[in-house]
Amino acid sequence: MPCGLILPIMSDGRGARILPWCLPLLLLALWWGATAFRLTPEWLLPSPAGVARTMFAYVAGNTSVPYGGRFWSDAAASLWRVACGFTLAAVPGLVLGLWSGRSATIARLLSFSINGVKSVPGISWLPLALIWLGVGFMTTVSLIALAGFFPIYFSAAAAAASVPQNLINAGRMLGLSRVKLFAKMILPWSMPQICAGLRVALGMSFAYLVLGELTGVPDGLGALIMDARMNGRVDVLLSGIVLIAVLGGICDGLLVRFLSRLPGVAR
Amino acid sequence: MKEYFCCRGLRKSYGPHTVLPGIDITLGQGSITALIGASGCGKSTFLHVVAGFVPMDAGAMLLEGTPCGEPGPDRVMVFQDDALLPWLNVRENVEFGLKTAGMAPALRQERVRHILMQVGLEPWANALPSELSGGMRQRVALARTLVLRPKLLLLDEPFAALDAITRSRMQRLLADLQIQTGVTVLLVTHDVSEVCLLADTIHLMGTGRGIVDTWTVAAPRPRDPDDPAFSQLKVQIRAKLEALADDGRVSCKKYNQQPIENY
Repeated sequence: MPCGLILPIMSDGRGARILPWCLPLLLLALWWGATAFRLTPEWLLPSPAGVARTMFAYVAGNTSVPYGGRFWSDAAASLWRVACGFTLAAVPGLVLGLWSGRSATIARLLSFSINGVKSVPGISWLPLALIWLGVGFMTTVSLIALAGFFPIYFSAAAAAASVPQNLINAGRMLGLSRVKLFAKMILPWSMPQICAGLRVALGMSFAYLVLGELTGVPDGLGALIMDARMNGRVDVLLSGIVLIAVLGGICDGLLVRFLSRLPGVAR
Repeated sequence: MKEYFCCRGLRKSYGPHTVLPGIDITLGQGSITALIGASGCGKSTFLHVVAGFVPMDAGAMLLEGTPCGEPGPDRVMVFQDDALLPWLNVRENVEFGLKTAGMAPALRQERVRHILMQVGLEPWANALPSELSGGMRQRVALARTLVLRPKLLLLDEPFAALDAITRSRMQRLLADLQIQTGVTVLLVTHDVSEVCLLADTIHLMGTGRGIVDTWTVAAPRPRDPDDPAFSQLKVQIRAKLEALADDGRVSCKKYNQQPIENY
């Protein structure tokens, strides 16, 4: 049956629940096929079952075996770094973004500097961060904060600048003060774009988490991946990648759930 | 006519372009006054100055003998694009101004219920604006302003984006609501039929010239849009509009943009 007929059927009812799993299942099937028919050597691409066993041991296994049961401490360390870095990105990103979206003076003041710094790849800051802040927590958090700042800043600025003038006028005629105008009109109006920016920034936080943790920190999922590479354990490396994806997905889901309760998101 | 609202020598310029060269206008209590003119002639700018959204360069505005300037719930506007809050439902949108004014919940809920009934939107009280048609959204915008019981209702081409049948229904609704509430209305439009149907006084504006002609319509409302008595008036207004359009004056539209700075 052609895709044009299958996709509309899958897009509603029970099909809608199956649809998100189609692509991962296809990749899993290809992976399984490649290992079952020995298209690649085991040391280069372990089987899905082998990776699942390794992952289970890493999450729930005995701590006496290598990597066994280390997941919870690694995940806690990584999530703490993401939380700190993301907060450091979100607070100034939102404040400066909303401000520059509503004030041409602030936008002019910031635009040259922010556009310039934005163009520098995040990885370029790594050597400087290592010299200034050393290996570990501070370097990772600063990289996450730097990466997450820009999508939040630009989405907040664009959203605040897009508030229709008539909406502002309506607020003024209905008797809103400047502070209430911001809280009850500008902020709720900007929420959908701000949410998109925050979600992009959270995704980038996980990407830069791994970059920061590859530099020799003792714990964290990025450290696990680096350690597995040094030991030639592709099964552990793939487990780390899959678990980062799972953690990233869960965090994104929690963020969406939190944001959906704020005024202005549902419309 | 007893002065309820009046402007004296109201001037507004954007750079070298004079949009309002000194407007004098008087509105009687409970009247509907219409401003008609080509796009960019300054009628919307005038309405925005009256609402207090745009500061005037010179002149005076008096409402019930008291000077007015800053925006407030005594002079409220219905915009062409409705300007509803998309994250609030119909009831919350209508209630918004009363809540801001600090009215007691029981009283404001009663007022909201009453006005929603008047505009025929009670069954849609819990609907979001995105779930409504253009005409229904404009009815919400009308309800949001009338619930405040304003002294002056400003209408900035409120029905221009609606289809012919919905526009006709909205015009009848406005006429009915005006009779019920007795609110004083200043209507800006470029629809000749609309002014004949609704207005007691019609002012014609020319680009950069201010008010160039005025007609008074004595017929009581509600009026029949097909009444032959209006035909002569429509012809006169259209002839004047065409004469003004041919005089070659440049529209001031591009100078009317408000900067976003300092909302």
